[in-house]
Amino acid sequence: MSTPAMQVRSRIPRLAGSAVERARLTVVPRRRTAAGRAPFLALVSMVLLGGVVGLLLFNTSMQQASFATTALEQQSTRLAAREQSLSMDLERLRNPQRIAGAALKLGMVQACSPAFLQLGTGKVTGAPCSDPNPLRINGRPPVKPAELNPKTKVVRVEASATSGNSAGDTAAGNADRAVRDGKKKSR
Amino acid sequence: MPATTSPRGTRRGSPQLRLRVGFVVIAMLLSVFGARLVQLQGLDPNSYAQMAAAAGQRNVVLPAARGDILDRNGEPLADSVDGLMVVADPRLTAPDAAEIATFLYRKLNVDYPTTLAKLREHEIDGTEARFEYIARRVPSTIATEVIEEAKRHDFKGLDTRRDPVRDYPAGDVGANLVGFIGTDEPLAGFERTFDKQLSGTDGSARYEVGGGNRLPLGESTVTDAVNGKDLKTTLDLDLQWYTQRVLRQTVEDSGAESGFAIVMDTRSAELLAVADYPTYDANNATASPKADLGSRALQDVYEPGSVEKVLTVSSLIDLGLVSPRTKIVVPPELKREDRAIGDWFPHGTIPLTLAGVIAKSSNIGTVLAADKFKQGQLDAYLRQFGLGQRTDIGVRGETPGLLPPGNTWTHQMQDRIAFGQSVSVNGAQMAAAVNTIANGGVRISPNVIEGSATTDDGKQVGTDHATRKRVISAKAAHQTMLMMERVVDPDVGVAPGAAVPGYRVAGKTGTAQRVGAECGCYDGTDTVSFAGFAPADDPRFTIYVVVQNPGNGGGGGSVAGPAFSKIMSYALRRYGVPPTGTQPSRLPVDW
Repeated sequence: MSTPAMQVRSRIPRLAGSAVERARLTVVPRRRTAAGRAPFLALVSMVLLGGVVGLLLFNTSMQQASFATTALEQQSTRLAAREQSLSMDLERLRNPQRIAGAALKLGMVQACSPAFLQLGTGKVTGAPCSDPNPLRINGRPPVKPAELNPKTKVVRVEASATSGNSAGDTAAGNADRAVRDGKKKSR
Repeated sequence: MPATTSPRGTRRGSPQLRLRVGFVVIAMLLSVFGARLVQLQGLDPNSYAQMAAAAGQRNVVLPAARGDILDRNGEPLADSVDGLMVVADPRLTAPDAAEIATFLYRKLNVDYPTTLAKLREHEIDGTEARFEYIARRVPSTIATEVIEEAKRHDFKGLDTRRDPVRDYPAGDVGANLVGFIGTDEPLAGFERTFDKQLSGTDGSARYEVGGGNRLPLGESTVTDAVNGKDLKTTLDLDLQWYTQRVLRQTVEDSGAESGFAIVMDTRSAELLAVADYPTYDANNATASPKADLGSRALQDVYEPGSVEKVLTVSSLIDLGLVSPRTKIVVPPELKREDRAIGDWFPHGTIPLTLAGVIAKSSNIGTVLAADKFKQGQLDAYLRQFGLGQRTDIGVRGETPGLLPPGNTWTHQMQDRIAFGQSVSVNGAQMAAAVNTIANGGVRISPNVIEGSATTDDGKQVGTDHATRKRVISAKAAHQTMLMMERVVDPDVGVAPGAAVPGYRVAGKTGTAQRVGAECGCYDGTDTVSFAGFAPADDPRFTIYVVVQNPGNGGGGGSVAGPAFSKIMSYALRRYGVPPTGTQPSRLPVDW
């Protein structure tokens, strides 16, 4: 039997015996590293601390967002309410009754029957005019009961002085009235 | 060593004893905890769980916004505003009752004495009052301002709660149809009929709070509110307002009891205005009598009188039995069985054409013409015109009117029905019937809701459901229109006051005897009315004005005619309808 390995071995010169002896594998004693515990502990503490602080910050920011949400929600509600009341005011201002009153106050008149201005030709169909019997935009005030609405008592006084011209008459009448007024006041 | 240990041992006792004592103490403590655990978890776990959940948890109703009621242009007739109620706790307000009452009186315009009484300590049913309403339905901006100012003044015991405000910006305009909302629920009109659609569905939210703020990771469930849907009507706010004011003036000036006016778009039968007088302010509905809160135009029955004659003669023309030029000899009085029929104006025997009968509103002439009907024919036509059936436009409590069944008609009844007595209608029915003639013989079912809406009873109403049906031929409608034009003719007609200068107007007056509520007989009062359309040869609006019991003794032509003219003139102007420029009818009225 001549395997190639044996052939190789047989070819190695015996001279290298001591070297071979030295090159024999032996168990190496475990090498003790001198790395301290401190960095590891620091790292773990850092991770822990970082986690806790991060969580805290995250939580805080969420809380802050929640505060902001609440504040913004309140503001939104307030603004919506304001918008609604303003549009309510606007609708009340748009009430045709109010507009009609304001228009009358400005001196505007009501139209009678429709009249048309043809834009192309400039021709006017119908006669624009103001309504001779304008619409009453307010109802009549309620009728007062008779007790609150006594009839005006009219007393006709015959003129005492029948002579003289009209101017004199008036003057006399005025004098008469002045006397009567004076009497009334003195009473 | 023993020398040093022995004194320590004597001080602390033996370690064994110490251990035992320690174990006993721990065992006692643990058994106390164990007992408490059994109590919490074993005996009544739910109530504690609930208490734990309730602390810090908040349940909130997310209110649905109530839909608006709009006119045809989107202007609100009723809208909702965020509102609050101001409430007080009398125990807390009592010390400053007078100052707070003065403050509230100034800010919220509440009644001072009533408020003062509420703010003072008092008892309700023997218990101390802790809750009083001070003001309800206050717009929330105002209420919040008031409460903040109260805080600045250091007034205690005032608070607010949600209380939506329903606002009717135009007050009485359209109020009779729109209705109103009472303290807690809709009480009348569309508000009540379409409540389901308008109110929507409230939502809810549940979340945990801490210090007034929502906990970000806490439990949270939200069901969104479904807002109510707007209700769009076919009414025109400005035209409605004008119609109401004209009607009020008419009723006031004629010393009448009540009245209503209807403006209808001829081509679509949409109601542009439905005015009632007396009416009420929807923002303060309870101040008005209950009788004024509904819509007389749809809920009152009355006999239409001579306006109905146009339905009779148009049916006769449609049957080909008469024409506008048919000659009729009208006697001063017409004996029918045991009764005599007379005209409103004294006359001898006069020769009138059918056009003259309409222009002069002769009962006798109409009855003589109606003699040509076969049994049941007039009844069939009137039903096709829509008499005797509800219009179902979505107004509560609408009356169907009263058209006796055809097989019960006697000869005398047909005579009376032919000129509009012994038959009762509601306003919308009659307006739709006259509109049939204006619309060339095709009756369109009237509508006041735009699009489609469902009433709380589940009925579908609205313009989407409008039906069209030919009742009389276009030719018959045209000839009837030509006769109706003679009514407003200043020379031959009875209602020159209804004319609109520059326009062709067709119309018909009505003066009917009224049936008294108590006696069930004609009580000597009248219903006067005018129905018509313009421009006569291309109608755009059909207007019907009815005035009940005018105190000045006026008739349809003198009371309702001018009101018709004013409203028509305004409608034509508002919608920019120019005159057609054709010649009005010159049909002969006599021969």
